Amino acid sequence: MLFPTIEFAVFFAVVFSVTWLLNARNTAKKLFLVAASYFFYAAWRPEFTLLLLVSSVFNYGAALLIDRFKYRAQRLTVLWIAVAANLGLLGYFKYYNFFAASLINAFAAIGVKIDIGFIEVALPIAISFLTFHALSYIIDVYRRVLKPTTSLIDIMFYIGFFPHLIAGPIVRANKFLVQTIGPRDPANIRLGESVFLILGGLFKKVIIANYLSTGFVDGVFRDPTANSSLDLIFGMYGYALVIYCDFSAYTDIAIGVANLLGYEFPQNFNYPYRATSVQDFWRRWHMSLSSWLRDYLYIPLGGSKFGTFATYRNIMITMALGGLWHGASWAFLIWGCLHGAALVIERMLGVTGDHRDAKRGTFATALGWLVTTQFVCLAWVFFRAPSTDAWLGYFATMLSGRSWSTGVTPFVAVIFALGALSHILPPRMFVTLEKRYDAAPLAVKVLVPFVVIYLISVAAPAGIAPFIYFQF
Amino acid sequence: MKHANPTKFEPPRPASAVRTATIVIYTTLMLLAVTIPQSVVNWFADMNANPVQDTALRGAEALRNLSQRAGVATVYQRARDIFIAISGVEPD
Repeated sequence: MLFPTIEFAVFFAVVFSVTWLLNARNTAKKLFLVAASYFFYAAWRPEFTLLLLVSSVFNYGAALLIDRFKYRAQRLTVLWIAVAANLGLLGYFKYYNFFAASLINAFAAIGVKIDIGFIEVALPIAISFLTFHALSYIIDVYRRVLKPTTSLIDIMFYIGFFPHLIAGPIVRANKFLVQTIGPRDPANIRLGESVFLILGGLFKKVIIANYLSTGFVDGVFRDPTANSSLDLIFGMYGYALVIYCDFSAYTDIAIGVANLLGYEFPQNFNYPYRATSVQDFWRRWHMSLSSWLRDYLYIPLGGSKFGTFATYRNIMITMALGGLWHGASWAFLIWGCLHGAALVIERMLGVTGDHRDAKRGTFATALGWLVTTQFVCLAWVFFRAPSTDAWLGYFATMLSGRSWSTGVTPFVAVIFALGALSHILPPRMFVTLEKRYDAAPLAVKVLVPFVVIYLISVAAPAGIAPFIYFQF
Repeated sequence: MKHANPTKFEPPRPASAVRTATIVIYTTLMLLAVTIPQSVVNWFADMNANPVQDTALRGAEALRNLSQRAGVATVYQRARDIFIAISGVEPD
């Protein structure tokens, strides 16, 4: 069930009404939301709801056990078993075939033939996000940041809540579980903000990401060598816009939908292509993932506590695994390592990229932005290219200067410009619009979403592609 | 109505927040169903055949016919044709 569909609109209308009708009876409401979330997940592959259930029950029990033990060694043992089980599940579905193929190729390179069987199983949608939510819970319980809940429903609700289930944002257990304690206050609904997040998300996904993808970027990446150098440059920037508009659209809608149901999710994007350093980029891009990696991987590895070399090593490990989290391929690993290397180089040079850093002059800030944007966009080529040959061919053709003709149509150019506007328009403008909306008469409140969705429907492509991050 | 300082508006009262959101959600959906009725027909037509689906499909078709007679559905089709002509995207 995709967000920009009639199915979801009807589903959400029903869920919204029943949720608030049951608000005074919190347990019944949570049970209903769990059932609705499982129904939402079952729309893809009903059998995988069992995975959701098993994960919830297992982590619920593991957290209770961790909390019950008094000694650190006992708690750590249970934690390691639980982490291994969660990662084992992820590894089995997502990485087994990749590692098996890599092993076979590595042995073949030294002339040894080994026989490792491959598994034929569909990748359960959202398994990576599900695992991150589960790990956040048990690790926080181990760290005694969070008391484990005795309610299985709460854990099923936390891991399975449909707005974040498929592609985030990654919600921390300690931030979400407190919201499940009692009835939600309707005052938590920020109608203007939610409506604009949902409408903006629909526009970014249905119009910008879809048209830029199908109208230009997909063709360029399908056979890079058949395109001009100029088109490959446009394709690189185009994909940067596509992935931003696609992914931020999903999380914007998720945040808006959750807020209408009375729940708070963290912000996930903050104008990432305005970043003036790679470090700054990771403070703005997929913020819930980068903070997750920082708190549950980088800091446990030692963070920056054990000297310069150890810090660089920890950054590289964190970013390499962060890259691999996106998918089982060498291209994702290279993408992660590139970002890791860039972060290490920035540390060596003392670049923070903090926009609040008054010491940075205008020229240094502009240069930082230019270098960061080019680096991030170049790195996206690894992310998008379907194979090693594809990205090699992409860069070789792009840098050859073979031809400077372009296949960008005027319509695609308009979509490019609209995509760029997503980073040019000031955030203050949206805040003002939201406030105006909140203060407007009811008729205007209804007309705004109706007119915007109507116009999006007029201009929408015939079919909506799934969100890119669904595969992760 | 013109507002001098939009940041100074009072937020809606909590008690009415759910009611307002409910009206916004349901009225928007109803307006969309009336003005773009073919999408509702397509949605029901794509479902697995059963008595409920059949009844819903007939209801959606009746709504579409009504919308077409009133000229509401035609506005959408014309707007879409103009968009396709201007943008050069492939027709449905």
